[in-house]
Amino acid sequence: MGGDLNINHLEFLGHGALWTLGLSAMALIGGGLFGFVLALARIAPARALRWASGGYIQLIQGTPLLVILFLGYFGLAAIGFDLSPLVAAGASLTIYNAAYFGEIWRGCIQSVPKPQWEAAEGLGLSRTQRMFKVILPQAIRIATPPTVGFTVQIIKNTSLASVIGFVELARAGQIINNSLFKPFLIYAIIALIYFAMCYPISRLSRRLERRMALGRAQPIPA
Amino acid sequence: MKHGKIILAALAAGMAFATVNVAKADLLDDIMKAKKIRIATDLAIPPSGMMDSAMKPTGSDVETAQLLAKDWGLQLEFIQTTGATRIPNVQTGKADIIISTLSVTPDRAKVIDFSKPYAALASDVGCLKSLNIKSWDDLKDKKIGVSRGTTQDTMLSKMTDKHLNLSRYEDDATMVTAAVSGQADCIGTSATIIAQIGKTNPARVFEPKVPITTFDLAVGMKKGEPRLMEKVNAWVEANIKNGKLNAIYKKFHGADLPPNMRGS
Repeated sequence: MGGDLNINHLEFLGHGALWTLGLSAMALIGGGLFGFVLALARIAPARALRWASGGYIQLIQGTPLLVILFLGYFGLAAIGFDLSPLVAAGASLTIYNAAYFGEIWRGCIQSVPKPQWEAAEGLGLSRTQRMFKVILPQAIRIATPPTVGFTVQIIKNTSLASVIGFVELARAGQIINNSLFKPFLIYAIIALIYFAMCYPISRLSRRLERRMALGRAQPIPA
Repeated sequence: MKHGKIILAALAAGMAFATVNVAKADLLDDIMKAKKIRIATDLAIPPSGMMDSAMKPTGSDVETAQLLAKDWGLQLEFIQTTGATRIPNVQTGKADIIISTLSVTPDRAKVIDFSKPYAALASDVGCLKSLNIKSWDDLKDKKIGVSRGTTQDTMLSKMTDKHLNLSRYEDDATMVTAAVSGQADCIGTSATIIAQIGKTNPARVFEPKVPITTFDLAVGMKKGEPRLMEKVNAWVEANIKNGKLNAIYKKFHGADLPPNMRGS
């Protein structure tokens, strides 16, 4: 117990940070793909699809991620499906984040003004063409800020994966802290690393917003 | 309807699979065949499980696990766990046994099996040395810091007649910080941790004031593994007798095991 922070501790934190990035990437890609399907299902013409996807989103948004992770890893093992921590974490994060992405993007798609739909229909485009050629390109612009905001949440949420044995950034810090007993120093370092991961994403979002705003209505001068 | 049937079938298959597992498995055979034992240990609870300056696991539980694996001629794999997931890890076969300051309690004995105790953990309410506290009465309405979900937390929470004012912290390091920084003048924890506070901040030396209880620490495993249990018990007994377990305990906790344990 006690002692000073040394290079080995920093290396351990670095490994943890890599896990945090890896888990975030899995959550983002898996959640994004499944979330996109959910968003389309939420506004599908078939009522059964709308209900099923709506029910899924209600159920998952009302369940803590910690519980989903726990059920995915220990719960499934108890009934005979033995998942590795990596698969369990990937699946749980996908299931959880898809519910949020699905609802965020459903809102973005629906906030594209109705006349755009009507005009596209007037041009004789099919539903798929209307969606992919007219509505989605406009929806992406609306979706950028909330998507980035939620991505930052995803990165921070991965700390919950420590419950199934992952030593990601937050847990790595906890382990070091419980060896050195220097919480202020260690948690400050962890906060800095998280910030270093999240800040570039926020910056990127601002750039994307600005770029996509080109060719759109100019801001009204005061 | 169709979906319901598929889910039911999948569930049934899963159950059948699980039952088959239970019927055929003898955990000891599996361990010996794999030449590897998976031991669940929390590496964030000093001085039982922690990291040294080279970030290698160390601590009394870590050395106990290493000794067991060495004696049995097995490779050792530590399964990273937190306090709360120690038991699920062995129940679901993610780890073979638990060596992680697991106190023997009747509630836990309902869901897992315990070996003979390999160590003991004395816990006290420790306070600032300057405070005049001798009994539970002196602690009335005083703020006592504990680590959330530990046996100390559970024990003190049950003492409702003593009118204790508990303040729960996330883990030992946070609790120690509270004591060091003056947020708490009393904490309920092990004697080792109480001694740690004065080392961190010489201006606030704590000492054990009121003993809570002494917990037996034992190796935990899934229920219904009599052969593995027998082998673990024989190992514990032999290493208590030859003094190795006492030496490990003394190295990290600075005191011998209680006399009644060494005598047995």
